[in-house]
Amino acid sequence: MIQQKTSKKICGMGHSMRRKEDNRFLQGKGNYVDDIKLPGMLHMDIVRSPYAYAKIKNINTEEALKVPGVVAAVTGKDLEKYNLHWMPTLMSDTQMVLPTDTVMYQAQEVVAIIATDRYAARDGKEKVIVEYEPMKPVMDPHKALDEDAPVLRTDKEGQKDNHIWHWEVGDKEKTEEVFNNAEVVVKEQMHIPRIHVASIETCGCVASYNKVDNHLTMYMTTQAPHAIRTVIALVAGHVGLTEEKVRVISPDIGGGFGGKVPVYPGYVIAIAVSFLTGAPIKWVEDRSENLQADSFARDYHITAEMAGTKDGKIQATRFKVLADHGYTDASANPSKFPTGLFSIGTGSYDYGTAYMEADAVYTNKPPGGVAYRCSFRVTEAVHAIERMTDRFALEVGKDPAQLRFENFIKKDQFPWKSPTGWEYDSGDYHAGLKLAMDTVNYDELRKEQAEKRKRGELMGIGISTFTEVVGAGPSKDFDILGIKMFDSAEIRVHPTGKAIARFGTKSQGQGHETTYAQIIAEELGIPAEHIQIEEGDTDTAPYGLGTYASRSTPTAGAAAAMAARKLRAKAKKIAAHLLEVSEDDLEWEPGKFFVKGAPDKAKTIQEIVFASYTNHPQGMEAGFEATHYYDPPNLTFPSGAYICVVDIDNETAEIKVRRFVAIDDCGHIINPMIVQGQVHGGLTQGIAPAMYEELIYDEEGNILNGTLMDYLVPTAVESPHWETGHTVTPSPHHPIGAKGVGESPTVGAPPAIANAIVDALSPYGVTHLDIPITPFKVWKVMKEKGILGGKPV
Amino acid sequence: MKTTITKIFHVEENIDRVWEYLADPTKIVTCVPGASLTEKIDDHNFKGKVSLKFGPVKAAYDGKITIEELDVANRKMVLKGAGVDPKGKGSADMVMNGMLTEKDGGTEVNYSMEVSLVGMLAQFGSRLVNDVSDQLLNQFVNNFKNKLKAEATAPAPAAAATDTAASTTGAEAATAVAEEIKEGAAAVAEKVAETVTKTAPATAKESVAQTEDNSLNALSLMWAVIKGFFSRIFGGGK
Repeated sequence: MIQQKTSKKICGMGHSMRRKEDNRFLQGKGNYVDDIKLPGMLHMDIVRSPYAYAKIKNINTEEALKVPGVVAAVTGKDLEKYNLHWMPTLMSDTQMVLPTDTVMYQAQEVVAIIATDRYAARDGKEKVIVEYEPMKPVMDPHKALDEDAPVLRTDKEGQKDNHIWHWEVGDKEKTEEVFNNAEVVVKEQMHIPRIHVASIETCGCVASYNKVDNHLTMYMTTQAPHAIRTVIALVAGHVGLTEEKVRVISPDIGGGFGGKVPVYPGYVIAIAVSFLTGAPIKWVEDRSENLQADSFARDYHITAEMAGTKDGKIQATRFKVLADHGYTDASANPSKFPTGLFSIGTGSYDYGTAYMEADAVYTNKPPGGVAYRCSFRVTEAVHAIERMTDRFALEVGKDPAQLRFENFIKKDQFPWKSPTGWEYDSGDYHAGLKLAMDTVNYDELRKEQAEKRKRGELMGIGISTFTEVVGAGPSKDFDILGIKMFDSAEIRVHPTGKAIARFGTKSQGQGHETTYAQIIAEELGIPAEHIQIEEGDTDTAPYGLGTYASRSTPTAGAAAAMAARKLRAKAKKIAAHLLEVSEDDLEWEPGKFFVKGAPDKAKTIQEIVFASYTNHPQGMEAGFEATHYYDPPNLTFPSGAYICVVDIDNETAEIKVRRFVAIDDCGHIINPMIVQGQVHGGLTQGIAPAMYEELIYDEEGNILNGTLMDYLVPTAVESPHWETGHTVTPSPHHPIGAKGVGESPTVGAPPAIANAIVDALSPYGVTHLDIPITPFKVWKVMKEKGILGGKPV
Repeated sequence: MKTTITKIFHVEENIDRVWEYLADPTKIVTCVPGASLTEKIDDHNFKGKVSLKFGPVKAAYDGKITIEELDVANRKMVLKGAGVDPKGKGSADMVMNGMLTEKDGGTEVNYSMEVSLVGMLAQFGSRLVNDVSDQLLNQFVNNFKNKLKAEATAPAPAAAATDTAASTTGAEAATAVAEEIKEGAAAVAEKVAETVTKTAPATAKESVAQTEDNSLNALSLMWAVIKGFFSRIFGGGK
């Protein structure tokens, strides 16, 4: 149950407080990067490559420079003079800022045009003449490893093929042994396709270098402003841009979803040009640039296997991944995790043996591999395990719900050690699935399905009972470029009892201004409406690694609670001083300390705070301020039980999602309304790859759906009615028992939908379909199986 | 991206005359809307230009045309073209196969064109490229027939150059409409009317020296693309 310990006035945890930030968003008064206008600001546009792989023979910018308003054209050769033509990626690979001789993917940046306004920049861009010598690109990751495949990264010393790295986890021999002796083994090839992180706001920046003060202010669409500042200082320290001379401001962000974690060449060019000219440089991508060139998500080719007994006991899993990373490994993962947290792929099930391996390859596609609303490759892992669980159930002839109940890790087995090394903190998977089944009326649906099958009608029920792993992360394992993945909160309460709190994270729509205030309200009893939340300015906010991977609540949310608790301890001392009693005689209720047995003898938090400025005890530090850097002892493991019901038209193959029930368990809930909103958005971003989205390339390296006309992002029209609910299994190690929820629905929804569609077609021998499962894909299968028009079972 | 279009059409001329036309790049290339030859390297190799516009993207390709195969006995020819946009917007490759057979006192022309595009045109035009190419080939057929006829009645090779200009206008008009279609079905009716009135006089003006057929081609090309678009939306077969 959702607990509310505070009054509605205080509005601590469990209250559906309206989002404080919506006041400005709903009035169109948000302040995004493109709203930033500085005196003397110049605008940048970027010429991009039409080829996926080509030599650059010549670049002629003469005509471009004649366009009125155009002031400069920047090429890779220009940047080379300052050794800025290449930059490091987060995964210790290298990426071109601008090419000097070779382009590696279609839409790669080639020339930057700087002009007095955006239109002039675009006109100038049209006049740039680039001569290329096209080469045959490597588009298929399987062929990238062929002996005769051309080596793409000739710039890397010692690179003799297109292989980037190999990764493995689990016990290979033991897994092989279980597989060799298993009664039942199922195997499927699946592709989790390359998709685009379609945030409403594209990426951009305003780089403003002040030559007089030698100071750079960088307004930027970034989910991790502090990390960016450190990176800038590390690469530009030698030209005087040391860390105190760099200020990164991440203003309002219109959706990130992992796509605003990487450093894109455009940012770097803008900084370089501002540094050289002293003028502020604005660069904002257009929609197609955002779609075609920014970091992709996923693109895992997985061979998935599951072994078990005839009566449905799972014994082992084995996943082999081929990861297509494009021309460089620009993934956004913690340093030690090249496949992110893919090893969570043993799922919610109790078995002791698993082995996973992955090989990453270079191709002539855009770089990336971001965690699209997911905790680093968890979506891929969950898709594989949930698909295979259904596949296994089909093989042994057991209802997939029943099979799950029989294989779940039980509530009393937590903390549970997974075969790939995780320690799951808590969970109650049986309760979640039971609630989902009761909500959807599972048994009735199965009866209905049996009757429909007799009439040749196609109806499917799909389940996904996933476990997420979020909140990266404990410093022993997690760092990005060496910086540990803690996060921070700093609370300053003003004399009148109103507060400001600053964080190392950065909301992109998650509602931090509301939920962090509620956490502090819960701990201190100061009404949430009087707690101002600030993030995103590295000059004022405490250091933290930003917001992605559902880490804000597990890390910065915890830091908020811990900092507030420090303040409450101080409040207690002041209260004891004011009431002239011993601290031991005091009791807390939200908003005040009172003397045990004498509730009238009390001091409110506001009185206590005022005293800290006006009448603090001798020997105590004045003021009311605390900071906490929270290094989580473990990750958190939210879970969910999703059930999807689909009807498929047996003539047209139109797929209709009739029901979608999502039961989430994210531990204690801070704001039920925000959680529900997050779940709705996440589910829609789950149906997207399941049924609509895929970045498609042809053999020549052309992206065939490079605009939102062709790349199908689901809208309200395509979104079914989401039925949401929750179970509450608090995280035992998190100060407020919360786990994080932003990404669960994106992770959990695709396999529920895929399982439902495959379930509908399973009587006809269909065991797997790759997402996105479009009506056309289903229609082709139906045609092949001869069931168009209906075939009774 | 690749697209292949095949056309079979009949001309009321004897096979030897048609072959003479088909086998001569200086004649056949100028039937391709938007294409022209700029230089003859030798009997089998030529330099030329093609300009195309798909939606928002214009591309002009400078390229080489090579006669790969000229089989007089079987009346078969294969023409290869490879072009690069000199402004760096992409490239196009083309293989044309032509074959003639005698039929009903005339000649049946069996013609196919495989076009492979790289770059902006492929990105933005992927949904339109089939329609537009199909219509361009239709226009090619008409040009081919008309020239053949014109030459038969009054041989005047000078016509080729100006004819190309008019064809380009036709192609551009068609794709301009295609571009507008992209902006949404609701606005289409209005936009089409607007475009027709906008482009029609221009087409007429630029093709003063031309036969009536070319300006008509421009309109029919537009309508054919629009018709194709709507018939797909409303489930009509293609």
